Amino acid sequence: MLFWWSPPLLISKQRCIGLYLRSVPERGAMGESPDITENQTPPNVWLAELQAILQGAVGGFLFGIPLLYTVEVWSIGAATSSRWLLAVLLATLVGVGLLTQVEGFRQALSLNPLEVFLESLEAVAIGTVCAALALGLLCRITLATPLSEALGKVVFEAVPFSLGVALARSTLQGKGRREAGVDRSASRRTTVPRARQLTAPTLVNLRDALVDFDAALIGAVLIAFSIAPTEEVPLLASSLPPLWLLLIMAASLGLSYAIVFASGFTDRAERRQRGLLFSPLTETLVAYVVALVASMIMLVLFQQLTASDPWSEWLSDILVLGLPASIGGAAGRILI
Amino acid sequence: MTAPDYPQTPTSTDTPQGFTQRSAAEWVTFIAAAVILLGLVGLILFDWQTNQNRPPAFSVAVSEAVRVTDGRYYVPFAITNTGGRIARMVQVTAALALPDLGEETGEQQIDFLSGHETKAGSFVFSHDPQAGQLSVRVASYRLP
Repeated sequence: MLFWWSPPLLISKQRCIGLYLRSVPERGAMGESPDITENQTPPNVWLAELQAILQGAVGGFLFGIPLLYTVEVWSIGAATSSRWLLAVLLATLVGVGLLTQVEGFRQALSLNPLEVFLESLEAVAIGTVCAALALGLLCRITLATPLSEALGKVVFEAVPFSLGVALARSTLQGKGRREAGVDRSASRRTTVPRARQLTAPTLVNLRDALVDFDAALIGAVLIAFSIAPTEEVPLLASSLPPLWLLLIMAASLGLSYAIVFASGFTDRAERRQRGLLFSPLTETLVAYVVALVASMIMLVLFQQLTASDPWSEWLSDILVLGLPASIGGAAGRILI
Repeated sequence: MTAPDYPQTPTSTDTPQGFTQRSAAEWVTFIAAAVILLGLVGLILFDWQTNQNRPPAFSVAVSEAVRVTDGRYYVPFAITNTGGRIARMVQVTAALALPDLGEETGEQQIDFLSGHETKAGSFVFSHDPQAGQLSVRVASYRLP
């Protein structure tokens, strides 16, 4: 029993990302261990491509969210001339191209210049689509928005999103790949003596789950803390149409699920082994609650919410800040 | 940052015809990406052609449906930028001239009004607008 329970405790997520990486389809020249790959069925290229796009999108959201909650970017975008928008788009492409030479959102490690160019175009397109979706989600672009204003907002918000897409692999997998051979859990701080942790399996499992929600809390605070004191939170919250908050909740949960479980940044098998207590759905829900509580505490600390505010303002402000918080929380769960 | 820990094993990717390494799925992604980006550039160019040379112009519509709450009269209005370019700090003023009581005024500033965009609001008066002469106009705006 003791033997069975100790590996989940010792294996860090990063290590498992490393293991996972060796099993995903590669077209690059990554050094693969034959003992891991030789028994594998031929990978489904469509699934792998979908996963690569999803990973890129996740990176985009992680990088783009802080600028998404910036009123100046919207107003600059709305007031910029078409010529300038084309220049910004071109600059984004150049920047993403430079990043793609060394990073990129696909797994391949060696590309020829033409492929770099193609992948940069794809990264900018993914970033643009994600930025447009995010702006639509926050009602910065609606059906009533004039074309020029919508274009400006999308182009300017697409800059951080595209850079995030190009950096997806290095921000969300970088450590795992580089330290794939090192057991990082050995360096993780543990406050309870190991002997005590291992005596009761349920407690071990609970502790593991708590580490996850700890990580979710840290990630949520890291991303949302810089957004909480800004005027964008009440501004966005007050301009949302009724029932739109439900869509924001759904998007927060969906993105959180996509980052942790669907994008393949972590190994499903390893999580299944560790997380007997929580199914992916439960973990996503609980992590969202953690993110919402963190959002509420941050808003109260910054006096954005006071006791005299109506409950509807509390609800909408918390849910609006809960979106970046849950994205940060999900990133925290796969990185920490 | 190219993960130097992993030895680069010679594979077909290192050969010049690495172009063929793209899978069908990746080509589909590329085609979709190209369509999206070309569409975006096309829309920007279209907007350039249609809107950039037309200065802002405004039309203000005052609604007849005046709402009375707690003895105050709420007069809804909608302002539309009928020009092409965006206008900032659009100042809308309303003056209600009453036969015996002089004039009551209201003022509204709209931060951004893009071409073809409509924004709505209300003026609040303490006298019945029907009893006097109400005039609503745009007083000024700023170019971005």
